[in-house]
Amino acid sequence: MSYTRGTIAALVDAVVPATPEAGDDVGAAGALDIDLDETVETAFNELQEAPEGPIRSLGYETMPFAPLLALLLDFGALELILAREREEPLQSPGERFAGGPFSRLAPEDRMRAIRLLEADGLFPALDERYDAPIGIVAYLMQGALFITTMAAYSDWGDDAEEPQGWQQANYPGPADGYAVHMGYEVDEFEENDYGTASTDGGDEA
Amino acid sequence: MTGSGIDMADPDVVVVGAGGDAPALAWRLGQQGIDVLMLEAGPFHGNEQFPNPHDDRGNAASAATGDLSGDLLDQQFTAREGDMGSPVDGKLRWGPADAERAPWARTVPQTGVISQVAGVGGTTLHYYGNHPRAFVPAIDDQPHWPIDYADLVPYYQHLESVHPVKPAPTTPKAELFFEGARRSGYDLTTGLNVDDEGYRPFPNAIHQPDEALARDGDYDGDFRDIDGDTLACHEHQGGPHPRGAEFEDRAKRGSLVSLVPKALDTGHVEIRPNAFATQVLTRAGPGPLEACGVAYRDTWTGRTRRIFADCVVLAAGCIETPRLWLNSGLPDDGWVGRGLTTHHFDFVSGVFDSETLEDIIGQRKVEPHQGQAAGSRLDVPGKGGIAVNTFAPGITASVMFSESVNGFAFENDTSGEPWDTEGRITGTKLKEQMSDYRRMLTLICHTDDRPRQDNGVSLDANTEDEHGPVARLDWSPHPEDDERRLDLARRSAKLLDEAGATHIHRAAAAPIFLHLQSSMAIGKVLDAGGEALSVDRLFVADHSALANGVGGANPTHTGQALALRTAEHLAERYFDGVADPIPADQTPASADD
Repeated sequence: MSYTRGTIAALVDAVVPATPEAGDDVGAAGALDIDLDETVETAFNELQEAPEGPIRSLGYETMPFAPLLALLLDFGALELILAREREEPLQSPGERFAGGPFSRLAPEDRMRAIRLLEADGLFPALDERYDAPIGIVAYLMQGALFITTMAAYSDWGDDAEEPQGWQQANYPGPADGYAVHMGYEVDEFEENDYGTASTDGGDEA
Repeated sequence: MTGSGIDMADPDVVVVGAGGDAPALAWRLGQQGIDVLMLEAGPFHGNEQFPNPHDDRGNAASAATGDLSGDLLDQQFTAREGDMGSPVDGKLRWGPADAERAPWARTVPQTGVISQVAGVGGTTLHYYGNHPRAFVPAIDDQPHWPIDYADLVPYYQHLESVHPVKPAPTTPKAELFFEGARRSGYDLTTGLNVDDEGYRPFPNAIHQPDEALARDGDYDGDFRDIDGDTLACHEHQGGPHPRGAEFEDRAKRGSLVSLVPKALDTGHVEIRPNAFATQVLTRAGPGPLEACGVAYRDTWTGRTRRIFADCVVLAAGCIETPRLWLNSGLPDDGWVGRGLTTHHFDFVSGVFDSETLEDIIGQRKVEPHQGQAAGSRLDVPGKGGIAVNTFAPGITASVMFSESVNGFAFENDTSGEPWDTEGRITGTKLKEQMSDYRRMLTLICHTDDRPRQDNGVSLDANTEDEHGPVARLDWSPHPEDDERRLDLARRSAKLLDEAGATHIHRAAAAPIFLHLQSSMAIGKVLDAGGEALSVDRLFVADHSALANGVGGANPTHTGQALALRTAEHLAERYFDGVADPIPADQTPASADD
């Protein structure tokens, strides 16, 4: 387990945890059961092509955003701890987590760390002060949650015929169609007058 | 026509982009005998010239409807949401056709998600077929438009007849929405021209379903033996249904299946995918400056070429059209790329118990994955629109619960608000919400956000890819836009509450850049005919040409209508005119001027 993978594991586990104690409807398995840490790490490292310039000259064809994501998460966690905005005790990192501060936060505190990174903390404050695109940090945090969640509930994160997330949502997967036609509320729209607010309504065409 | 492998030798018009709007323009120009070469940055799906578009380059171009293949579309469009729609490695993404490569770069220094698709058909590959006209007051009462609503009506009528556009069928989730709207006191709208609030089925460019698909009937469930929409709800995943049908008979009338075949059928249109335009070529003209061609780069081979033509049309979308303009060093009076509107989306969902559903719709689940993805709506001119907007679970989870400007639900106090939770939901609560997926109705709010010069696209001079400096996107809502959005969110919550929802959630969404309009607006950058004010023979024919966000109605219909109109202006100004003008024999019902 690398530092990057292990820190992302703490992220995806907070978004979609294993919940062995939850009822049957919810499903016990979590993001780590489908190795979503690997999916998100890969997605971040393939998020966009590396621009011309120093990154590319170091041999990267794509932006190495996954290690950056891990670093930022730990930065946010450290800020949360130092600012005393942590609400729950630090914990031992999960088995698949890395050892940094983000991995030691309770799940909701991990989300609070993300909130500092994108809205309330030092990076957003720097963004206000400097004429540089520091808001990219907020973009990456939004991307982290969007990708984690979409992948957790689709075949993106689990390419089995019936992905775990679809099963937990009780979604049967793509179908050729459904016989659910109930007629028409309006048979045809009419080419009505315009230019003055209409006063009628409720008559079916 | 040229064969595959080389470009049309001497096109009259070169068009950058073959997305949602440009095929309308190309079709119209082709009808006048004008030779059009379209350069599309992304892949061409369902085309025998490109049988494995994400693995191999294939041939160079396609110019015949005989190339279009329903069988290939069936193979390529699997309807699995990650396979099709992952913004990183899905088939419908903003990136090169080559699946081995990453998406193209953009700089977004803020919270937000861009959702655009490169490829023939553009973002209509995953749109929902929604074709409402603009709200009348957004054209006639807002100060942005240099033309009248009446000028657009003949083009709307034309598209409504050719796609065609029809009222969406009622399905159980639509009926649930309608009942909530009725109980909230809204009237049914039956007119195409909307200037007053009311609910209605969506005017959709989706073939209406076979009557055999009646819910209470006895359909045997094969779905390959019927015409029209199969109600499979796969619009976002490309919407290839009905499977097995001819290419042009697919139900969802995205530009790929509706307008592209018509354009090719004129015998005057050729489409070259995998061709990323990098520069608009100009020369000194009788006036200030004159466009004369385009330089582009083949995304597979890296080879660059220049194409010369009498006119150039930019239709690369609201982000890439201004990027190309700026990278070409064309004049900027301060509005190039600016004035971007994006409908400042919000999402509100309701979960229902089975007894309530049994009472209202006669079944014990909403079944969001059945029926047209967006088939019913509420119009609120002056504020925007609200629509049923349903997805498979991955997109549901991400748009409803993973992106918000108001933090996390566990830290938000919602007392006094008409929703039970607001903001992102994670952990066990997320799993509980998603376990209710089939009893959930999700609504989208499209805000009538207004054009502002601060919002839009510029160049990121520090980030350059093989096509030049990349686009930087900055957009934030004005407090008045936030106010309109909040009004729509509250109306959504009331509607869901009236329908009996037991738990209502508001995302308070972070920006999703999906509906994009007005970054190269007529009246600002373009004249009323769609031609650049500062460069002759250069036109724009995508949603960036719209003068505002058309009031919050879905923009595709207006974008295509304006593209048809721009084609006619182009033909009149630089060619032999239009033999069969669309407005000729069609009289709008009335106009106030």
